[in-house]
Amino acid sequence: MSIDPRDLAASSERGRQAAREERDAVRADHATEPGPTTGDPARARAAGIADALEIRGRRKWPFPKQADLDAPLLEVRNLRTHFRLDSGTVKAVDGVSFRLDYGEALGIVGESGCGKTTTALSLVQLLPSNATVVGGEINLMGIDLVKKNENQLRRYRWREVSIVFQGAMNALNPVRRVVEQIAEPIQHRLGEPKGRALARARELLDLVGIPTQRGNAYPHELSGGMRQRAMIAMALACDPAIVIGDEPTTALDVMVQAQILQLLESLRTQLGLSLILITHDLSVIAETCDRVLVMYAGRVAEEGPVDEVFRRPRHPYTQKLLSSFPNIQADRRTLDVIPGSPPDLRTPPPGCRFAPRCSFAMPICSEVVPPETTFQGVRVACHLYPADGAGQPVTIAPQNASRATVPLVEPPPDAPPIEVPA
Amino acid sequence: MTAIAVSRTSVRREAWRLRLRGARGFVRQFSRRRDGVIGLLILAVFALLAIAPGLFVGSLETATTATGLQLDPPSSAHILGTDELGRDMLNLTLHGARISMTIGFLATIITVVFGAVIGIVAGYVGGRTDALLMRLTDFFLVLPTFVLAIILAPIILDLIGTDAEFVGIKATLLVIVIVIGMTSWATTARIIRSQVLSVKERMFVDRARVIGAGPGRIMRRHVFPNVVNLIVAQTVLTFATAVFTETTLSFIGLGDPFQPSWGEILNAAQGTGAPGLGAWWYIAPPAACVVLVVLAFTLVGNALDDVLNPKVRTRR
Amino acid sequence: MGSRYLGRKLGQAVMTIFAIVILNFVLFRMMPGSPERLLHNPHLGQEQLDALRTRWGLDKPLIPDQLIAYLGATATGDLGVSIKFQNRPAIDVISDFLWPTVLLIGLGEIVAILVGLTVGAYAGWKRGGAVDRVGTGASLILYSMPYFVIGMPLIIIFAAGLHWFPTSGMSSVGISRLDFIGQVIDIGKHLVLPLTTVSLGLIGSYSIIMRSAILETRSEDYMTTARAKGLSDGRQLRAHAFPNAMLPMVTIIAINLGYVVAGAITAEVVFNWPGLGSLTVLALQERDYPVLQATFLLLSVAVVIANLVADLLYGFLDPRVRA
Repeated sequence: MSIDPRDLAASSERGRQAAREERDAVRADHATEPGPTTGDPARARAAGIADALEIRGRRKWPFPKQADLDAPLLEVRNLRTHFRLDSGTVKAVDGVSFRLDYGEALGIVGESGCGKTTTALSLVQLLPSNATVVGGEINLMGIDLVKKNENQLRRYRWREVSIVFQGAMNALNPVRRVVEQIAEPIQHRLGEPKGRALARARELLDLVGIPTQRGNAYPHELSGGMRQRAMIAMALACDPAIVIGDEPTTALDVMVQAQILQLLESLRTQLGLSLILITHDLSVIAETCDRVLVMYAGRVAEEGPVDEVFRRPRHPYTQKLLSSFPNIQADRRTLDVIPGSPPDLRTPPPGCRFAPRCSFAMPICSEVVPPETTFQGVRVACHLYPADGAGQPVTIAPQNASRATVPLVEPPPDAPPIEVPA
Repeated sequence: MTAIAVSRTSVRREAWRLRLRGARGFVRQFSRRRDGVIGLLILAVFALLAIAPGLFVGSLETATTATGLQLDPPSSAHILGTDELGRDMLNLTLHGARISMTIGFLATIITVVFGAVIGIVAGYVGGRTDALLMRLTDFFLVLPTFVLAIILAPIILDLIGTDAEFVGIKATLLVIVIVIGMTSWATTARIIRSQVLSVKERMFVDRARVIGAGPGRIMRRHVFPNVVNLIVAQTVLTFATAVFTETTLSFIGLGDPFQPSWGEILNAAQGTGAPGLGAWWYIAPPAACVVLVVLAFTLVGNALDDVLNPKVRTRR
Repeated sequence: MGSRYLGRKLGQAVMTIFAIVILNFVLFRMMPGSPERLLHNPHLGQEQLDALRTRWGLDKPLIPDQLIAYLGATATGDLGVSIKFQNRPAIDVISDFLWPTVLLIGLGEIVAILVGLTVGAYAGWKRGGAVDRVGTGASLILYSMPYFVIGMPLIIIFAAGLHWFPTSGMSSVGISRLDFIGQVIDIGKHLVLPLTTVSLGLIGSYSIIMRSAILETRSEDYMTTARAKGLSDGRQLRAHAFPNAMLPMVTIIAINLGYVVAGAITAEVVFNWPGLGSLTVLALQERDYPVLQATFLLLSVAVVIANLVADLLYGFLDPRVRA
């Protein structure tokens, strides 16, 4: 996808835009501070998005017994997931906090290896055997999933948190019919008889736009887009509280990508899905998500409403990420490349993990871990934005002045392309 | 001139340094595999026995030089008992090590050379040659080669004559070597061919072709070094199969009573009716040796295969 | 199932059988017991020799006349005349010895597939667990044992030592006097040890291969999906890992048949089981080449057909090759 997210964010879809701003206003205050609020139903409805009550009301299957329906849908605090390797411990996720509300779509973005997939898979601990969640809280409707053992967690998998994997070709079992695979969780997790489960699976196929009789096909007999649709139908099988999309469009060609994103978007409004979308494709986030979480080297760099973050990226990493993205409108011959490579997470640098690659690094950056501070609903972890500041960067003489080409403040709407001086 | 000479030595030195480092890494990785190390120790013991059995138990006993009673259970005089001719079982078994290991070794060489050449040629040349060679390979894979070996053995014996001898191995046993080689190369050829196919796609082969190297040279200098790891692991695994097959062929009567391998000893035991008589000491020593050696080669081979040819298994 | 897949596999099988027949013809000419040499066989009378000469057309050129004659004879089931068994047709001799082998290998395969696949699947699924460590260790040792090395201790312990089972043969001397049930029990008793031998030999390799096939599936994405679906461990194994791991197993079990034949031959020798294995060794000792050859032909064709069946079964199990 070669659409600039900033253009999308500033697109002329004014209605949706307005709706988002409304919602953002509601949600801005709890971007970091968790509270029992799920937004003012009236305002949310006005914004065209189903509110928590409505979403919960639609669900056909009971919520977990221990669920506190007044608690936020998902609240992750200081999550830490480590991988044990022969050569050391990889701190793949190291202190990540975020929150997801009913009906909301959160995008998690970052370079490969930044821990975005690990973060998502940590929610129900679908990790490889050498990885463990070593700390933090994962409160799903007030239930801390970190405290659950494997057997208890199993009950939350798919019924509460389902996943649309990347590359449905491999994620679907090659020797079983698609409709059977969709019906399987309905039959085995919800205890429906096989016939009813299959009937429900066919309904789901219809919902995602697959002709019902195609469900009898095997995965290899379907096209890539169809397989991804089937994967989505499977994820919806148990009416889960949260659907995670793990790069759901990465393996597809551009046209099909667009169709799948449209499908997700329409399912979201139809069913009031609460969605976590993992991608390295900023345009996908711009199109689909309400809020975005930018991750770097296992930590949160910046988090906030999509429009705000894409319009006025605060963290230098977010700025670099956005400017390294090709812009279809600007006639750019050069793309910004972020110099250097992400740190080795076995021995991460002290202080800010982006400091070694950052054009604005100050002495403090390589010593002290930047605290997360919130301005206007945007949470950012960077020493440029001290907690007592006003959300504007402190003025410093950049250490690596020659590389400091990215504007720190919002560029004018029709900013000329940024050229990297030779 | 001197500059070139210097750079050439330094290149050579660098190459050696890299090789040494690779070897060190290999030793470190292999020594972490407990099963492989245990297998290697077992093999070291048997190699020692095979090289000089006379050092431990004197020369091979025959019916005329037998030292014990007939089919005598283990005693202080014969700690592993005696066979039906009164020969000491320890003596027989240790000398059997030499025969079994030598036949296994020679058969392995034939198998691997044959398999590797066919695999490399088929994989590299491709096209019709490949199709033809692979049809042949598949044919030998499906065929019950053991029965074929039984039929081939007398034919080959006929061809090379009963008086032939090679490194002290008599014709009958040479036949076993040849028969094993002829009937077991197919697996090796298949495995190596598939590796060659992937090597062929890599850059350096194209580069060699561009600078005008002929197919023979490319196969020797570029393809072979890249499949040599596979060949090494395959050789060790083939050794296990060769010892196994030799034992089986000897057991059904293709061995030489005057150069008794473990299989031949077991054949004699079966002929005497040792199992039904409960003469376990006639069976246990050679049987245990066969199992230990085959097991050890399998363990070492698997460990080598894992260390030398790591399968890339990625998870997101 | 796609008819193209079926046709291709069928064509390959026919080609292989044809190649086996040709190979047999070549060997027939080369072997010490070839027709020319057979003429010196003291067992044969002059008329028989002349009859053989005419039948084999030895006065005619090797190719094509003799080859065509050979192919014709083979096609009509004329596989030569046994030397050891009073000039009976080799095919008749073989059919006498066929059924004990079919019984032994058939039952042995069934037991081994059931036990080996179960042990292997479980060991691979719970890698590093108790079943894995004990089962895989035992399997490796069994895998390293020629069948007769498995069989001999069984005789020493359970026949010579404990007298639970007979040491050899397929039936007791007076079996014809027993009623049907008695006969079955008698044969069953004789069958236990040889069957155990063949099964144990196979269980070793099957469980090792099944274990690695299951391990292979565990790194597949669809297994992550199965886990993500919150399916129980047993369901993940049965419904997702096992059906996929079975695909390579089907081929391997079929390919392995050639080795099973070899193993069964030695097992039959150890237990004096009156099957093709014992016949082969007898024929080898007596240099009864027509019987040896006929056995080889029969076993090869049987293995090829078994492989064909496996290919068809594979096509049935794996939807990807059906198209």
